[in-house]
Amino acid sequence: MFEIIFEIISLIGFIVFIILLAFFYEWIDRKFYARIQNRYGPLYTGPSGILQPIADFIKLLLKEDIVPEASEKRIFSLIPIVYVLLPILALLIIPVNGKGIISFEGDLIFLMFLSAMITLSVFLAGWSSACNFSRIGGIRAALQMLSYEIPFGLSLIGPAIVANSLCITKISEWQIANSTAFILLQPIGFAVIMISLLAELELIPFDVPEAETEIVAGWTTEYGGGRYALIRLGKDLELVMASMLVSSLYLGGISQVFFIPPIVIAIIKSIVILLLMSLIRALFARYRIDQVISGMWKYLFPLMILQIIIIQFIG
Amino acid sequence: MRYGTTIKVPFGPQHPALKEPEYFLFEVEGDFVVNVKPRIGYVHRGLEKAFENNTYMHGLYLAERICGICSHAHTVAFTQAVEGLVSLEIPQRAQYIRLIMAELERLHSHSLWVGIVAHEAGFDTMFMYLWRDREMIMDLMEEISGNRVLHAINTIGGVRRDINDEQANKIRKYLDKFEENIKNYIKILETENTFLKRTVGVGILKPSDAIALCAVGPTLRASGIKNDVRKDDPYLVYDEIPFEVITHDGCDVFARTIVRCEEMLESIKIIRYALDHMPKGELKVKAPRTFPPNESIGRVEAPRGELIHYTKSNGTSKPERYKVRSPTLGNLASVCKTLIGAHIADIPIILAGIDPCFSCMDRILIKKRS
Repeated sequence: MFEIIFEIISLIGFIVFIILLAFFYEWIDRKFYARIQNRYGPLYTGPSGILQPIADFIKLLLKEDIVPEASEKRIFSLIPIVYVLLPILALLIIPVNGKGIISFEGDLIFLMFLSAMITLSVFLAGWSSACNFSRIGGIRAALQMLSYEIPFGLSLIGPAIVANSLCITKISEWQIANSTAFILLQPIGFAVIMISLLAELELIPFDVPEAETEIVAGWTTEYGGGRYALIRLGKDLELVMASMLVSSLYLGGISQVFFIPPIVIAIIKSIVILLLMSLIRALFARYRIDQVISGMWKYLFPLMILQIIIIQFIG
Repeated sequence: MRYGTTIKVPFGPQHPALKEPEYFLFEVEGDFVVNVKPRIGYVHRGLEKAFENNTYMHGLYLAERICGICSHAHTVAFTQAVEGLVSLEIPQRAQYIRLIMAELERLHSHSLWVGIVAHEAGFDTMFMYLWRDREMIMDLMEEISGNRVLHAINTIGGVRRDINDEQANKIRKYLDKFEENIKNYIKILETENTFLKRTVGVGILKPSDAIALCAVGPTLRASGIKNDVRKDDPYLVYDEIPFEVITHDGCDVFARTIVRCEEMLESIKIIRYALDHMPKGELKVKAPRTFPPNESIGRVEAPRGELIHYTKSNGTSKPERYKVRSPTLGNLASVCKTLIGAHIADIPIILAGIDPCFSCMDRILIKKRS
């Protein structure tokens, strides 16, 4: 009985920790992006504006809540909650603390399912908004998924073939046991997973579904107030999810180094990935949707097939 | 692929890609635009009527407020038109000072525009850098005239303020830095693959269409046609200063970007030459308060293209008729042509490609009841 209560409390603690981490990552992303652009970025709330994402979240919660009359109200209201829950669920699988909280053989497949669900919820959000801009944004998100989903899946499978396991925790442990990192063994796979994650997270150059200057705010156009706050939080959680995933699969896994606990190692490694993403975001212009799709199928997909062939023949 | 049905996509009056309220109705088939209907007049301010109700001296201030970006070009055109009524010759030094301000304004307007296009293409870093450098030019204009936007340096018959040696040296120093940065940005824009993908071959305006639809300024020059009021019908002292008219035969948004970037480099050369060759002398001559019945126009190459001010006097201190034809109106017909056949995603970048300034050009539309 006591153990169950302890488990529940630790689970809640973990989720709260993840949410705070998400706000922290948003701050890092904003600050770094701003400094590259020769701006200050968040500055006033807390030391160096570190509390700004939280302040923004609270401010949005206080705003008026509007649901468009013509929208599919049930789906419209449900999507923000789903959008927050899916990345949290994914983070329970990823070995943030050295070992996934829910870890089982085949959770890599489950993670691919979750990432597809995130895009599907984006499409549904756009569709249920009953707004031209949202609808175009939703359709673009779905089209974009058709392009990055398969290279992304293959780039997850690459390490799994070598580690001989479909469990993320085991792939991470395999790297520690062999004291190597998949970024060295499969550099093409690392490049592909980074590019397809940029598309998944809707970051420049692949921020087509919410291209600000083209379709207002894309699929989030009709969201406001608390619902929009949840979507913002969901985006931050996705950022944590993506960077943690890459650091556990490709950056040599997550484990204790000397006396430093694995959670700190995880945060350091994932911040490296986050900064890389921010850097790419600052350096490029936005592609058009047809360019994204043809580019992904022309270059990313053959490259990833090549990587799988190399793995099969060289080992 | 033909879909048979079209969707109407509204664009504006409020839209993040448009900085001013204007409405375009796009008929879209799949992902391609098949028809565009602009509806102008959202920010009509009745300025031409206001000119007729005020004296010429008041008109100077009104002209300054037509546009927030090319405010100096409008006062140059105004003073040119009004001084033309009595064939008033203004002193050489005043002409040089007007010219230096006009070129500084071109630098600020073009760097602003290139930043906007980079932003429309999702290239925010370039946007931030260009707008940072634009601040240098704004500082220079403040140093010379006392104001950042509404310079109020022109007056009928000359200019109000002088440029002293200390200011001239500061301009030279800032321009060296600005030139170095702009050259660097041109290199980046010409090689950055994502930017090229979004701009090359987008918004094609054929030279024949450009002439037929009365395109003006950098939009026309990017279609390979050498046309510049500064060269064709020199005003101020442009005929004394050597400079090139920049053209590009790309006919697309990329060509328009490069034309503007290289025009900035030309403007820097013009300012340097003007500072070196500025004669000493008076700043203004006395202008009359009332003007005899006459007609006159002022033609100026504003940053966005050819700007025409027309005035008709009737012997009083107020104009009988005043008319402004701003460059955006000239480019509107051509931009509607280039939009047909474009991707939805390319609409903002093509619209921004003409450097629209809607409040300057807004007219009243009288619709016939059907």
